[in-house]
Amino acid sequence: MSSADATASAGHDDAHGGGHDHPKFLQHQFDTPAQQFDAAKIGMWAFLGQELLFFSGLFVAYGIFRSWYPEMFSQASHQLNRVMGAGNTIVLLFSSLTAALAVRSAQTGNKAATSRFLLITIGCAFIFLIVKYFEYVHKFEAGLLPAHYFHPHRDHLVPGTAVPDNAGSFFAIYFMMTGVHGVHVLVGIGVLIWMWRRNERGEFSAKYFTPIDLVALYWHLVDLVWIYLFPLLYLID
Amino acid sequence: MSHPEHIAADQEHEGQYDVHAHISPVGFYVFILGTLMILTLLTVGVSYIHLGRLNLVVAVVIASIKAALVVTFFMHLKYDNKFNALILVVTLLFIGVFFAYVMNDTEHRAEIDLEQGGKILPATGAEAPGGFEHHHAPFRAKPAGDGHEPSHDAPAHH
Repeated sequence: MSSADATASAGHDDAHGGGHDHPKFLQHQFDTPAQQFDAAKIGMWAFLGQELLFFSGLFVAYGIFRSWYPEMFSQASHQLNRVMGAGNTIVLLFSSLTAALAVRSAQTGNKAATSRFLLITIGCAFIFLIVKYFEYVHKFEAGLLPAHYFHPHRDHLVPGTAVPDNAGSFFAIYFMMTGVHGVHVLVGIGVLIWMWRRNERGEFSAKYFTPIDLVALYWHLVDLVWIYLFPLLYLID
Repeated sequence: MSHPEHIAADQEHEGQYDVHAHISPVGFYVFILGTLMILTLLTVGVSYIHLGRLNLVVAVVIASIKAALVVTFFMHLKYDNKFNALILVVTLLFIGVFFAYVMNDTEHRAEIDLEQGGKILPATGAEAPGGFEHHHAPFRAKPAGDGHEPSHDAPAHH
């Protein structure tokens, strides 16, 4: 890890003295902690901008197919479980709060609270994926699969509904969008656990909380994408 | 963790080079979450009212209000370096350009293509907007309490 290397070299610089000491976390290419913080945040926002552009391709595909087949989209979306979708929305929104509070605790130097909020956020991420798993299992059982894998079983469709034979394109978009989003949730769990471990090791303080801030930004982005996915996929008409 | 002498040195600097992040009260963050929850309930509720094309507009507007709350307060853009907000705004602008050109093309290409005698699917002669044709009746859910009706329109289970 680069920060560990930087810490070592900062230690050597300290030997020069001159009243200009480096905090352990300050990498040698930066003059001040504030400069390092700003640089990290700009980098993160550039990455988040890239993430939004990346997701926008899927949203445009959604727009094209929905404008071509509005009735099909409406009918196909009736096969999705609104209660599970809404529940997951609430779980993700709540986890965004706990991520924001984890950053706040780090900013105020409350290490125990930071760990606690990170763990709650990770727990919410797991709940989200478990709910998603049950949704996917239902789609697989009902044969509501992408494109030419689409072969609905009448026993498994929502009673009183019908799906058009071209609804495979809806489910292709559904699985791509929620799947890519789900991968982001998985990555989020990974980086949140990483932050929890580093926090437990005492790497963060009120003067240095940048990594937690950046990971929280990423987590909020995952929430942000879901804020659009939920109404667009689950709540059509 | 800082050694005592480091802390003392840090205090001499008294933070002119330190990170000065705005710290919002916990209650404020909880208030934002409450607003997000209410907007979620609202978007679910509105979806049961049939407004035609307006349903999509309302859903996207509510989602955008929620997204604005998240980026402004949870993601600290209100108190952040304004350059970060600029990155986001420019990103959204380009997503808008992406959407505008693609949707304009898909929705109106047919008008021009027909005048030129062009078709989206040359193989079948299907008119734009293209895609694929319906070949079968829709797949209907099995009626409740009826286990014996022949399912002629459902594909064979594998």
